[in-house]
Amino acid sequence: MRTTEILRLAQPGARRFAPGALLGLLSALCAVGLLATSAYLITRAAEMPPILYLNMAIVGVRAFALGRAGFRYAERLASHDAAFRTLATLRVGIYERLVPIAPDGLTGTRRGDLLTRLTADVDELQNLPLRVVQPLLVSGAVAATSVITVWILLPPAGLALLIALVLAALVGTAANGLIAARAERSIAPLRGAFADEVLDTVVNLDVLTAFDATGSRLAAVERADARLTRAVLSSAAGTGVATGILSVLAGAASIAALLVGIPALGTAGFDGPVLAIIALVPIAVFEVISSVPLALSALRQVRSSAERIGSAVPEIVPPEIPTDRAADARRTVDPANAVIELRGVSASWPHESSPAIREIDLTVSPGDRILVTGPSGSGKTTLAHVLVRFLEFEGSYRLGGVDARSLPLAEVRRTIGLSEQTPYLFDESIRQNLLFARDDASDDELIAVLERVGLSEWLDQRGGLDARVGERGSLVSGGQAQRIALARALLADFPILVLDEPTANVDPGRADALLRDLLSASADPDGRRAVVIISHLPVPAELITARLRLG
Amino acid sequence: MKPLDPRLLGYARAARAFLAAGALIGLAQTACIVGFAWFLSQVIVRAIDGQGLHELAPLIAALAGVVAARALLLWIAEVTSTRGAARVKSQLRSRVLSAVTRLGPGWMAERNATSVATVTGPGLDALDTYFSRYLPQLILTAIATPVVVLVIFLQDWPSALGVVLTLPIIPVFMVLIGWATQTVQKKQWRLLNSLSTGFLDVVGGLATLTLFGRAARQAERIRSVTEQYRVQTMKVLRVSFLSGFVLELVSSLAVAVVAVSVGLRLIDGSLGLSVGLFVLLLAPEAFLPLRQVGTQFHAAADGVAAADDVFEILDAESSAASATAVDATPDRPSAGALVLTGFGAAYGDRPVIGPLDAEFPEGSFTAITGPSGVGKSTLVAALLGFVGHTGVVALGGREIEVGATGLDWISWCGQRSGLLAGSVFENVTLGSRSPDRALAARALAVAAADEIDLDRMLGVAGAGLSGGQAQRVSIARAVYRALERHSSVLVLDEPSSALDELSEARLVEGLRALRESTTLTLVVVTHREAVARAADSILALEPAAMAA
Repeated sequence: MRTTEILRLAQPGARRFAPGALLGLLSALCAVGLLATSAYLITRAAEMPPILYLNMAIVGVRAFALGRAGFRYAERLASHDAAFRTLATLRVGIYERLVPIAPDGLTGTRRGDLLTRLTADVDELQNLPLRVVQPLLVSGAVAATSVITVWILLPPAGLALLIALVLAALVGTAANGLIAARAERSIAPLRGAFADEVLDTVVNLDVLTAFDATGSRLAAVERADARLTRAVLSSAAGTGVATGILSVLAGAASIAALLVGIPALGTAGFDGPVLAIIALVPIAVFEVISSVPLALSALRQVRSSAERIGSAVPEIVPPEIPTDRAADARRTVDPANAVIELRGVSASWPHESSPAIREIDLTVSPGDRILVTGPSGSGKTTLAHVLVRFLEFEGSYRLGGVDARSLPLAEVRRTIGLSEQTPYLFDESIRQNLLFARDDASDDELIAVLERVGLSEWLDQRGGLDARVGERGSLVSGGQAQRIALARALLADFPILVLDEPTANVDPGRADALLRDLLSASADPDGRRAVVIISHLPVPAELITARLRLG
Repeated sequence: MKPLDPRLLGYARAARAFLAAGALIGLAQTACIVGFAWFLSQVIVRAIDGQGLHELAPLIAALAGVVAARALLLWIAEVTSTRGAARVKSQLRSRVLSAVTRLGPGWMAERNATSVATVTGPGLDALDTYFSRYLPQLILTAIATPVVVLVIFLQDWPSALGVVLTLPIIPVFMVLIGWATQTVQKKQWRLLNSLSTGFLDVVGGLATLTLFGRAARQAERIRSVTEQYRVQTMKVLRVSFLSGFVLELVSSLAVAVVAVSVGLRLIDGSLGLSVGLFVLLLAPEAFLPLRQVGTQFHAAADGVAAADDVFEILDAESSAASATAVDATPDRPSAGALVLTGFGAAYGDRPVIGPLDAEFPEGSFTAITGPSGVGKSTLVAALLGFVGHTGVVALGGREIEVGATGLDWISWCGQRSGLLAGSVFENVTLGSRSPDRALAARALAVAAADEIDLDRMLGVAGAGLSGGQAQRVSIARAVYRALERHSSVLVLDEPSSALDELSEARLVEGLRALRESTTLTLVVVTHREAVARAADSILALEPAAMAA
């Protein structure tokens, strides 16, 4: 996906965005107005005119004071509301791009945390309207209004303010571009390296202690810390210079106003109170535009989030990912005749040069139990993904007697179920985690299926179907997760079931028992269901009918 | 939240220097604030009185001087606060990391290692904002606000009264609104939490949803969850934004009050313009630092929470007895049979596993088997001194003080491979004082890992190797150590759990060859038949016999 397209999704439309921006502008103008009117009020009062002449200024001061706080409060509510409303559009927009390519078409999908990072990046994009566009727009508008006002009062003073503001904008942008970008380039990797050192030390504390290596490890952490600190300090010195220059420019704008204003005193319409205004307005304007550097650094973060999303979501579906283009939507597979026939099947992952599996032959008939073994990296998971059409293939793959490419993807996945190596459990109740496999299942059916996979005791301990499984299944052990995943697959009643390394995240002592339980539970009453089990562990011979060795 | 936790000063000496520097800078900045307002108002007032640029030149030069000093101070403040934050973080971090190593693997076993790593690593970065933004502002508030109010008081006491009366409204309302926000948040914390993870949940489970043909219809769910999230969050924001509102309202109203009251007294001639303008410029400065403290408050609260987690670890260490400290003694452990008498694992005084009597003759190969959960790994941990123990451990007839005699007599490979970033060679020779390539290659061969290049670079946690390869490298690491330090005992905990049958057979062969060529006593905890078959004897642990 292109970065600009993503950013466009993140920015609310004009009608949604306008109220917040307008209120923000009013609040900022009130801040400048408050200082200008106060200065005018006091210097005019010193001339001791009848109080009547000052009523307008007195009302103005009070109104600006109230307006500044009131508008600001309304602005924050309006702009946050708009950003949240856009978030829904944005999330759905990105999600719809993910669906046709998930899971294997996402770049870097074989690294575990991709999806977590992706959602965090999508949510980061909220900051585009809130912390980037709006502050920049408001600062620009306030700066322009102030320059024009001061220009009308005394053109040279307006020019001085304009120059100071332009210089400030240049310094701010340059400082941000040069210093902050350099810092990001040098600091981010150092920060990552440091975090890795700490993680390595803490996680492996037992090993380090047993090997008398804690001392040298702590020294390595300190060295990484020192490198990081040096980089942070040099970037802080740069940021400090930029802050200092902005402050000098703010002061210089006031001094310049005095230098051109004082000689002009007494000329047509230019008197003391106006001098006070043009000398004081720069102070308030620079306070408003102090949000610009923050907005620019927020922009960098938003942009890199958008770039990460863009690089994870390819613009076109890679050729390794199957689509429904060649499929005949009406075609179905007869569950009673669900036979898999692979002849000379090869498959590759997107962006990888060599195929992960080559020339595989495999036949799976009803009632078969086929064990797929092979060293890690030999393509066991790849084969599973080809079977459920997550990955495209070369060669011949027939399902129920017809070319798998001519079947709709959904139909293949209605026929072949996959229980993943790390089953995903939703942060919901046990009931919800089962129901999405078959949404008309009754509670009795759910309890029965849990009993079948050996979870009835666990269900009782948890206190029934309403108990939650915890965020990302954190309250569930590896073996329990596999059993829940199998229960889901059983509910969906797939004629063919693929179990991918069900013992990968399971305590070695419990692995054998789990394999037996899973294999016996997956049998249906008439023995028609076929099971393909992928495992690096030996599986008792009586539980399987055939084996396929990869690699 | 306490504005400044005294433990921070106790644990990180750098924090004190930081506070002292902050106070000095704050004082100088206050002087600049007052000076800028004074010179600016003087120039304007005298110009109105008819003085020309020439007469005003010294004053304008002074004003420029103040502007330059102000900028310089900003730069100094930025650098010192960043440096201070980095120093304090480094001190805290090195203290907490050495505390963690002193507390040891036994302490760590009861905790989530990743979260401890987050607390000691990136977690402490939350202190950055606290030190570089919040604390300097807090110090500035403590100095500038009273000084500015005092100056206003000396110039024009009614204005000072106005400021003094409105200032306390801010903290009072901040506290009240803080409470209200918490109440609103607490009421729907659960709901907000599940709504905020709703999107992650759908995207994270996308593969699963696709498998069950449910992916397409989730778009509507994302929309409704996000919409609900908006409605609920806006409820909280309506209250929490009030604190910002009060801050701005009070400070701008105070300026308005001062401006109007000064203006009215100027008209009746009871006040001079120079005083009036000066006071007007100073009034907002009394509120400015306080407002900035307010905007940094939440970031600072995160920092304090991060520091709290660190203090918890430091406090745990200072309350723990220093008995866990391991001091290596030069005394070489004797060779001979390993004999355990009444040996068991204990947490504190509470025996949890055992007791058991066992003898492992010198050079023997024993497999320990038993159902999962019977406590095999805990026994090994007790042997290493990671958890407490009961009974006696003797080697060649001499009693060994577990945990205090140093660990040279025993080499160990745990269930987790525990590899570090670096080369395979660095991993295999971990802890070695003079790494030896030939010996490392031999260790790899024993572990059936000789196809792995010693110079291959690994990422964090051994990234780049498959599970089986990582396991074999970690076995090689234990073998290397046993050979280099002439350990008497080599303990392997489930060494083939990630290996396929072929690699397992090669590993067993390697272990047999190792036994032929050394006097090492091999103790292997295993579930795998192939490994158990290769052993001379099997020690089967039964749950009943092991019940304490």
